[in-house]
Amino acid sequence: MRIGIVLPSVPSYSETFFSSKIKGLHASGFEVFLFVNNFSQTTTLNCKTITAPKFSKNKMKNTFIGAFYLLKTVLFYYKKTQNLYRLDKKDGLSFSKRIKSIIINSHIVSQKLDWLHFGFGTMAIGRENTAEAIGAKMAVSFRGFDHYVYPIKHKDCYKLLFSKKVKYHVLSNGMKNDLIIKTILNEKIIKITPAINVQLFTSHSAFENKNNFLTVARLHWIKGLDYTLEALSILHKKGINFTYTIIGDGNEKERLQFLVHQLGLNDVVYFLGKLEHEQVKKELAKATYYLQYSLQEGFCNAVLEAQAMGKICIVSDADGLKENVIDNKTGIVVPKRNPEALAAEIIEAINLQEFEKERLTNNAIERINSIFTIDNQVKQFIDFYKN
Amino acid sequence: MKNKTIAIYSGEIPSTTFIERLIVGLAVTDTTIYLFGKQKKRIFYPKNVQLFTYSSKLSKLIVLLKYSLLLIIFKPKEKNKLDLIIAAQKGNQNVKRLKYYPVLYHKPDVFHLQWAKGTEDWLWVKDFGIKFILSLRGTHISISPIADLFLKRMYETSFHKVDGFHAVSKAILEEAKKYETNLKNTSVIYSGLELEKLVFKTKTNINSTLNIVSIGRSHWLKGYSYALDAFSILKQENFNFHYTIIGIDNDEELIFQRNQLDLDELVTFQKNIAFQKVMEQIYDADIILLPSIEEGIANVVLEAMALGTLVVSTDCGGMTEIVKNGKNGFIIPVRDSKSITDIVKKISSLSLENYNEITSRARIAVENQHSKDRMISDFESFYDKVNNSNKTE
Repeated sequence: MRIGIVLPSVPSYSETFFSSKIKGLHASGFEVFLFVNNFSQTTTLNCKTITAPKFSKNKMKNTFIGAFYLLKTVLFYYKKTQNLYRLDKKDGLSFSKRIKSIIINSHIVSQKLDWLHFGFGTMAIGRENTAEAIGAKMAVSFRGFDHYVYPIKHKDCYKLLFSKKVKYHVLSNGMKNDLIIKTILNEKIIKITPAINVQLFTSHSAFENKNNFLTVARLHWIKGLDYTLEALSILHKKGINFTYTIIGDGNEKERLQFLVHQLGLNDVVYFLGKLEHEQVKKELAKATYYLQYSLQEGFCNAVLEAQAMGKICIVSDADGLKENVIDNKTGIVVPKRNPEALAAEIIEAINLQEFEKERLTNNAIERINSIFTIDNQVKQFIDFYKN
Repeated sequence: MKNKTIAIYSGEIPSTTFIERLIVGLAVTDTTIYLFGKQKKRIFYPKNVQLFTYSSKLSKLIVLLKYSLLLIIFKPKEKNKLDLIIAAQKGNQNVKRLKYYPVLYHKPDVFHLQWAKGTEDWLWVKDFGIKFILSLRGTHISISPIADLFLKRMYETSFHKVDGFHAVSKAILEEAKKYETNLKNTSVIYSGLELEKLVFKTKTNINSTLNIVSIGRSHWLKGYSYALDAFSILKQENFNFHYTIIGIDNDEELIFQRNQLDLDELVTFQKNIAFQKVMEQIYDADIILLPSIEEGIANVVLEAMALGTLVVSTDCGGMTEIVKNGKNGFIIPVRDSKSITDIVKKISSLSLENYNEITSRARIAVENQHSKDRMISDFESFYDKVNNSNKTE
């Protein structure tokens, strides 16, 4: 079976859900094609990578680039191009938009596929007819930002998509319910949660009861790090000793560093920047608590990894997180955007008896190892494409 | 007073409201003002403001060639000296020449740099007998050196060489002292408003749906997320209000937050508009809220105080130098949504008489501290003080 996956770029090391899925599919005899906009990173994935037409800032130049791809596609893939044009016309797209559609889809039209799978909902916008035009089935994954954030600013951006014959992949029951509300049929939506390499993320040391907190996250507003730091400043004011380490980089660094400065937490908060997987694991090993107080989260692999490593995970109730961590069983779930509530829960967690803490971490390890493995995920994806 | 020449340098023309106000204000004195740098758009200044600017690529080339030639003919030794300084600096040398040559050729008595990040680059003017003044304003002082250790180090090594410091508030002067305790010739000069254009109006009623307005660009420093959290609490308490933020166009974080907190109906984000219209909205508002995390002294608060609308400001930067809690406005802690909800509720229960008493005192405070005349005379004496302090080195 030939599966084409459409992504913005080749998955980087942090996007393990893509790379593990692609590797697994390949091992099971699937042929995987990757359609990307930017091809800058080198990849070790076993798949053919095809880049979308690249446009420049120069409008004049773009006319030539567009004309080249248009001509090429019409000449070599006449039938499929005609299909695409007709389908777009049926959807009421203007002539110029139909031409644009042929150009931006030219790299996909050139391939023979059984499935065309858009890795994010946003990737399918403007490509709603591509799969049908090339005689492939269409699949779309919703992962978080594309589901919860993008449509707020771009109202009705999925209106056309939702009218098409599509099989949807989502990460959580919450996302599934949202799609059902949008009148998508239940059987067309398959929940496959992310998975982690449980061999890599295992804890070899015994549980250490220290007030060491850790978060692995881009320094982005969506991660709620400001609320987290404000909660920790409440602990600080109460005279509770702790350290908080943040792994990750991003454009909110100055904002967060200023916050740390203003809250007087300079001596207890450490920004380590972006780290390699192995180093992340080492830092995880040192921490007792893992915090993920995001404002929005599709599911969050980092929390899976932290649970697998035997950390006490204290997370917000944002979207997929409340399915990722089972409150009071495999960790602690706190209402989002509420630093006082988070501080109270952290203090309560600190005050738990050691055996109670170990109960949480043992439950978490067990749950991750039984449900969130890559093997499981690959199996589910094979079913997804076969059924 | 001898007619002096002052270069007011921000790098861009026109510059921010504060800086433009200073330029136009000083132009009514017998001071000659030089403006160097990049001209973003055409602007008409009084005739004692002289522009030596560039804009397009071609004009950059012309300016560079013109001043290279002028310096070679009239000031060859000084040009050589400056070229050596440029060679020792980091960055594109032609860009430096383009920026520095006109300044060297016209040689103002005082070079007044508006943004601290350029301090090290511009210290060379002192080697040519030009007095070097730095304005302490904005994030260059209050935020950037906290996250950027190289910048901190630069301030520590260069501030003692600066001939004079203008601070926009006492608070920012104290902040700058963290990098050099003995700052020379410091002067806090408050921004001056054209108060005759800002007509004070007493309120005839307080809206039953309390109308709260914030004004300012979309930036985390403005603390709008704390305001939204506060209004979410007020919504849950069924408090009657509408909140508008002017100056926000398409801020994803705030749009998301407003949606997540289910505030779409009660909170409006509005693009920046002409000041005349903003003024109307300030008159219509019951509260002008400044939820900022850091500020110098926010212009919009001064304007609201002048116009007669009650202000609520966080206790950040120099805000308490003008807003006196309970007397001419209200002060709340930074990053504290709960305090925002409490103060909004408190103001809603003020009597009209009480409200107008507070706003009247606000107008007087602004008249006393932020008049244009006062700003200009303060600057004149400041420039004189720095100009006459040369014997110390």
